[in-house]
Amino acid sequence: MKQCEHFDVVIVGGGISGGIMAQQLGAEGKRVLVLEAGADTGKTFSGYQKYMSTFFTNLIKIPNSPFPQNLNAPQPLVTDVSKIAEGKPSTNGYFVQRGPLPFSSTYTRALGGTTLHWLGTCLRMLPEDFKIKTHFGHGLDWPINYDDLKPYYEKAEFGIGVAGDADEQNYHNIDNPAVHIPFKSDSSQDYDYPMEKIPQSYLDNEMHKGLEGMTVNLSGKDYPVDVVSTPQGRNGMPRGNFRPRGAVGNPDLGQRCEGNSNCVPICPVQAKYNALKTLDDAIATGNVEIRSQSVAFNLEVDPSTNQISKVHYKKYQSPDSPDYHCETVSGTVVVLASHAVENAKLMLASNVGNSSGLVGCNLMDHPTMLTWGLMPENIGAFRGPGSTSGIPSLRGGEFRKDHAAFRIEIGNWGWNWPTGAPIATVPDLIDEKNLYGEQLKAHIAATYPRMFRFGFLVEQLPSVNNRVTIDPAYKDRLGNYRPVIDYDVNDYTRAGMAAAKRVSDQIFQRLGVEQYTQYDESQPGYVTYQGEGYSYNGAGHLVGTHIMGSSKENSVVNANQQSWDHPNLYLVGCGNMPTISTSNPTLTMAALTYWAADNVKKALQN
Amino acid sequence: MNLGDFYQLSAILTGYDEARLQGSGVGETYYEVLTTLIPSHILTQLQDTFCTIEALPKKALDSELRKQILANAMLGPVARNILKMWYTSIWYPMPTAWSKIYAVPNQSEQKYQDVEFIISDDAYIQGLAWEAVHSHPMGAKQPGYATWSFTPHDIASATAKRNPAK
Repeated sequence: MKQCEHFDVVIVGGGISGGIMAQQLGAEGKRVLVLEAGADTGKTFSGYQKYMSTFFTNLIKIPNSPFPQNLNAPQPLVTDVSKIAEGKPSTNGYFVQRGPLPFSSTYTRALGGTTLHWLGTCLRMLPEDFKIKTHFGHGLDWPINYDDLKPYYEKAEFGIGVAGDADEQNYHNIDNPAVHIPFKSDSSQDYDYPMEKIPQSYLDNEMHKGLEGMTVNLSGKDYPVDVVSTPQGRNGMPRGNFRPRGAVGNPDLGQRCEGNSNCVPICPVQAKYNALKTLDDAIATGNVEIRSQSVAFNLEVDPSTNQISKVHYKKYQSPDSPDYHCETVSGTVVVLASHAVENAKLMLASNVGNSSGLVGCNLMDHPTMLTWGLMPENIGAFRGPGSTSGIPSLRGGEFRKDHAAFRIEIGNWGWNWPTGAPIATVPDLIDEKNLYGEQLKAHIAATYPRMFRFGFLVEQLPSVNNRVTIDPAYKDRLGNYRPVIDYDVNDYTRAGMAAAKRVSDQIFQRLGVEQYTQYDESQPGYVTYQGEGYSYNGAGHLVGTHIMGSSKENSVVNANQQSWDHPNLYLVGCGNMPTISTSNPTLTMAALTYWAADNVKKALQN
Repeated sequence: MNLGDFYQLSAILTGYDEARLQGSGVGETYYEVLTTLIPSHILTQLQDTFCTIEALPKKALDSELRKQILANAMLGPVARNILKMWYTSIWYPMPTAWSKIYAVPNQSEQKYQDVEFIISDDAYIQGLAWEAVHSHPMGAKQPGYATWSFTPHDIASATAKRNPAK
């Protein structure tokens, strides 16, 4: 019988958290194996260009359109999302959705993970976000606080390569102390991001002027509406000795953002960070091996030590064929970094780490409500990174006792998200508005550059009823479980959506924006609150399926991100986050992963 | 329909001149898609109709083009498909009602079928919709770092006209 190969660390998942872990431990001389379920097409630049070509000719421009569906490691798609009839799960796509509402977010199963199609937003959490149970009586407290994570935020901002100005991102100019984020401390007086902020769009600057001095009333108190640049994992002008990292396999390319206006679903030049870069750094340590097309399906426990003794995976030769064979490896430490949903699925399938009964529970997202309209003047829509500014001043405050907080994202791509404009909407101008020639051209020039949209990323609370489970009735082509999802959006979040819509309406009135927002019952994410209808979309922010907490009864991992049940098992990724609050989770997840890597280093020394 | 007439008709339909259309480099592919899928007797009729009106003055041309081509039950859907190819880079399947009456588009095992598809990578990049928006195709023809913060060009040129000294 073949000897089981042993590594210091076996990491399941080749995305950003797996990449950080591999790079950090490889650099310490540890022998690391990364098992990636998907294909590794993007690891060479020519492979990455195939993604571009797939994107160009794909009729459906969704976040996963450049990344072909792989039936051996399937991924959820936005186009799978539909309304769910009671008692009749929706099985259109990879997810089995039991509702009552559809979970609308997706992720990518390929080397590099979902950072291949992320936007790159790198916001820190607010200090109050770590203790919302204590402050507002809702949700959960984290077992750590902002100050604990702060040095790791700095590491993550350098690891990803974030462009931003600390003097803006501390929000100290916003007249709402609840959102202030301390950047400086005794240890880091002069801290600033590795690159200067990405220039704000013409729209951002117009909006900033138009909203100057505006306030809105939430729960009886006035709050400012301030436009602030957004920190982004996108190459800009470097500070000091920092050198931006270009494309993997073509490092001269992508040293600066070139304005391709395509961050989601794919940056053609990799000026936007993706985890292929960190994985490439990991390989350069000489101690890291990546095995792609290797789907971990079972973790074996040694009953005498409670350690994870073996990782079993299915190795397939081609995404086009269902043929595979089983392999087994072992690690002194095993790290699950395969995504919130996939981590939970693997633990449930292996029946490990679940003494709390909370594996898979507390699935969260940012239900994202869009509003859109026509600006009175040309604002140069469809240019630049997807978003370069937002309105962060309503991310925190006492109103969180009554309803969800939200961050407002200012979109630079007109109505591309809500309507698919311009490509998806031009046929209507031809077929129904009966335009052609000069008239058609003039109509587009007069309206499309005025198209504008907001995205409201509304906070969702953890709930044990929103969860990922498995069911032997639902398996993929390799015989692995498909995630079964129960999901709902409660009144706390719906009330946040209602408040967000009121804020949007006030802004539209103030700026003279012609309202085109439409919510109707046919939309899968349609919900009502106090008689009014709203629709949400997925943000792609899948959080909280194996949360960290203060005890083995209330959580799956401890503050070190170590399983309460198995001393050599670490979990990383957004699944560890007990609450989602209002920041896009990747930066916080990366910071947590740098922390987890330090903990694994210490564990390996002992 | 010959290629030259195809470009001339396309220029009227799109509002972009022939040189601009030829410069896109994808016109011949669009012509190939069109002539593969739409039976030639229909294209001949489209060409013949167009040739009788193309020399008319602008206003009369518009009126006759609408009357004789766009509002013509057989020719209208074909002309609109040509226009959509140029703007969106997509071939849309001919309407079922049209196919029932006039002709079944070629559906044999050849390079193109009468289904919805993006004609090519290049076609996506050359879609006129992006130019009409005064931007660039998402994912290509990148305008460069920080250009998104510039004043949109029509506002910039209007300001320049108002303040010639600047």
